[in-house]
Amino acid sequence: MSFFDDEEILEDFLVEAGEILEQLSEQLVQLEKQPDDKNLLNAIFRGFHTVKGGAGFLQLNAMVDCCHVTENLFDNLRNGHRQVTAELMDVVLQALDTVNGMFAQVKEGQAPDPAPQTLLDALQALASGEDVEAPVADNPEPVAEDSTDDMSDEEFDQLLASLDSADIAADAEGSISAGDDEEITEEEFEALLDQLQGKAPEPSAGSEPSAEQEPSAGQKPADTAKQAAGASSQPSADESSLEPAGTEQSASASASGGDEITDEEFEALLDQLHGSGSHGGVPSGAVSAAEKKAEAAEASKKEKAVGDKADSAAKPVSAAKPALRAVPDSKPAASAQPAAAPAAAANAAAKDAPETTVRVDTRRLDEIMNMVGELVLVRNRLVRIGSTAADETLSKAVANLDLVTADLQTSVMKTRMQPIKKVFGRFPRVVRDLARNLKKEVALELHGEETDLDKNLVEALADPLVHLVRNAVDHGIELPELREKNGKSRQGTVLLAAEQEGDHILLTISDDGNGMDPDVLRRKAVEKGLMDRDAADRLSRSECFDLIFAPGFSTKTEISDVSGRGVGMDVVKTKISQLNGTIAIESNPGKGSRIEIKVPLTLAIMPTLMIVVGDQTFALPLANVSEIFNLDLSRTHVVDGQQVVTVRDKALPLFHLRRWLTHQGGSDAIKTEANVVIVHVGTQRVGFVVDTLIGQEEVVIKPLGRMLHGTPGMAGATITGDGRIAVILDVPGLLKRYAA
Amino acid sequence: MAEATKKLDDQVLQWVTFNLENETYGVNVMVVKEVLKFQDIAPVPGAPDYVMGIINIRGTVISVINTRRRFGLHDREPDDNTRIVILEIGKHVLGIVVDSVAEVVYLRGSEIETAPQVNKDETARFITGVCHREDQLLILVELDKLLTEEELAELDN
Repeated sequence: MSFFDDEEILEDFLVEAGEILEQLSEQLVQLEKQPDDKNLLNAIFRGFHTVKGGAGFLQLNAMVDCCHVTENLFDNLRNGHRQVTAELMDVVLQALDTVNGMFAQVKEGQAPDPAPQTLLDALQALASGEDVEAPVADNPEPVAEDSTDDMSDEEFDQLLASLDSADIAADAEGSISAGDDEEITEEEFEALLDQLQGKAPEPSAGSEPSAEQEPSAGQKPADTAKQAAGASSQPSADESSLEPAGTEQSASASASGGDEITDEEFEALLDQLHGSGSHGGVPSGAVSAAEKKAEAAEASKKEKAVGDKADSAAKPVSAAKPALRAVPDSKPAASAQPAAAPAAAANAAAKDAPETTVRVDTRRLDEIMNMVGELVLVRNRLVRIGSTAADETLSKAVANLDLVTADLQTSVMKTRMQPIKKVFGRFPRVVRDLARNLKKEVALELHGEETDLDKNLVEALADPLVHLVRNAVDHGIELPELREKNGKSRQGTVLLAAEQEGDHILLTISDDGNGMDPDVLRRKAVEKGLMDRDAADRLSRSECFDLIFAPGFSTKTEISDVSGRGVGMDVVKTKISQLNGTIAIESNPGKGSRIEIKVPLTLAIMPTLMIVVGDQTFALPLANVSEIFNLDLSRTHVVDGQQVVTVRDKALPLFHLRRWLTHQGGSDAIKTEANVVIVHVGTQRVGFVVDTLIGQEEVVIKPLGRMLHGTPGMAGATITGDGRIAVILDVPGLLKRYAA
Repeated sequence: MAEATKKLDDQVLQWVTFNLENETYGVNVMVVKEVLKFQDIAPVPGAPDYVMGIINIRGTVISVINTRRRFGLHDREPDDNTRIVILEIGKHVLGIVVDSVAEVVYLRGSEIETAPQVNKDETARFITGVCHREDQLLILVELDKLLTEEELAELDN
């Protein structure tokens, strides 16, 4: 049902562009804080460029257009023709949103809608705002200004272009580079695409025209490519053969440089480049630089002249400078002259590391996980048999199996782990947009981004965290004026932290805002009719804070598009409990609030309390269990038709699970003693009467299957040590279904 | 399915036959994944009444349908012949409990007759045809109709 011919290419594009877009959102927000960071500007430029290239290949023209103007804008930004302003960022972020929207459409197999013309115009206006002035033809100075900390795509495009055009340098005068991709040959284009994963060799429209040719450009990349191929660690070896870049200005074609490398070397180089190039990411600048050079070498080898205008002669020089910095140990010869050689050496070194990662479908991981779970069960059974049999060799083998399976289980579990960075990454943007909307000044601090947790958890936590962070900015942080009046700094801080604590992950969202006043919460609860005044007054401090999780509770009098509808927090709470997690709030009026979320490391394994009701085994999630005790049934009371038990002066409703979960009902209710499990759901605590308590067990959760999925009160099933099935109870669902 | 087989000019199809309360039924062999001896079925409280519960097959939890109840028969205690037939119907894998599983038979499309449309009760819904074979009546069932549209819709949600 797709309009794309090549699903595989599309698939690759979706994965790659998806990652880039994710990064872009992060980088753009960072850019606002560090508007002069050239690295960042280059990275963003590259990001848009790559997405554009891929989209262009798939003929997603709407996406290409939008990326193209944005890319132009960033080209000007990084060339210092424009400054980053908040207004500009708004437009750019809007552009990113648009691209994201298109991306989502493409993902669903639709053709992307074109970007709104107003947005394109705005971008165009910003892009063309100041870039009228072109540098004097033979003046290398603007390049010096341009000197960046990293190599940029454009520079290498230009390097390539200058190489390509070496043969026709004569007509290189100040022409515009647009459209050179039409003139590039198909072979080259494909080679480029292969190597650059979709980057089209399209020098940006903002590139400065220059009449001068870089004479040694062809020579240098060729040499350096050769070096790279040989993985030479002696970058200075060829230095002497290199022409000083900025000084020689003869337009002689040096494409012959390409002949110096043999085909084998070149192939090897390409292979290496291709391998290391696919790592992507910001530090790939150097790698991509090497790729570009390889292309240059290739292009020159083929001696296929592309009818391109000449690019700034000194560009490669500026590229070379940072390269020098990148390899501080190499001997810097006269100024920029050693150029790309050390860089290539560095790249060669980087390339030596083979590719170490593999993309795996999560379904496959789930299958492996499932099978490992089975293996664990078989092991358990064997352990049981081994302990009864008096065979020493058997018990030794079983003990060995025991260890290996435990290791295997941990390893498989680890493959499903992802850094929480994946969720945290979106927050700078969220906070930035929100703060701007609300005219607040908010700094977001992220701690412990590397904390690993289960992939499913990472995804499941995203929404609740977004909500909590928005709340912190919207409700927590005060307006700058108010903060000043209260003796605080104008800028509020929201801290988002993650750390592993034993077998669970602790997430904290804290702000230094206004905090919450328990008394205000009490009053609100009464106003909203959630409870009467007396009940509200009896609430403890922490119970007051828990009130914000009650459905329909919002202290904000006005409904903003951010928060204030009073539906969010109870959804957050439900979501966290679904993950077998807990959420707690601490707040000091005037000082700020702190929300702590604890979730288990993984969703696949859950600690439970195994119980027997009737003749069936059930598992109660341990997260819900507060205590277990033996109860003399004669000491219960009936309040308003509900049996209650008094635990430490608190009356808790008592429910007989036998009546809920079996057909026998309360036929044998004449028992005098019973095992009671006190469970808690949020602040609510109830007692469950069970027949037998088995004990605590870590279980692998199995879904109930489509037919039974969603059965109220049932969270899943697990297989016990003897191969039987135990149903895992979902306490909130159980109460909702049966206790109401 | 029966209609389709007729059109395909006497195609030979294989049917797994099973017994339920003195009647022999046949189900297309292509949907049968495996046949298991009866094992304990863990009931799931709150589940629809046509679901007996769940069983564990090598680590996968599979729902088992109470076929007797679906066929309008009385419940019966399982014995040594009782089998659970695991079916794979489209995306759904489920088990049905039958009194016993007999054999796999080869039937020509022409041998299959349409079921007599006497009663309109719900069992008729999934009976696609009958076949006289060795003085026995074989009732061919199409088990993807074992569940009503609504029930299937429920599954798909």
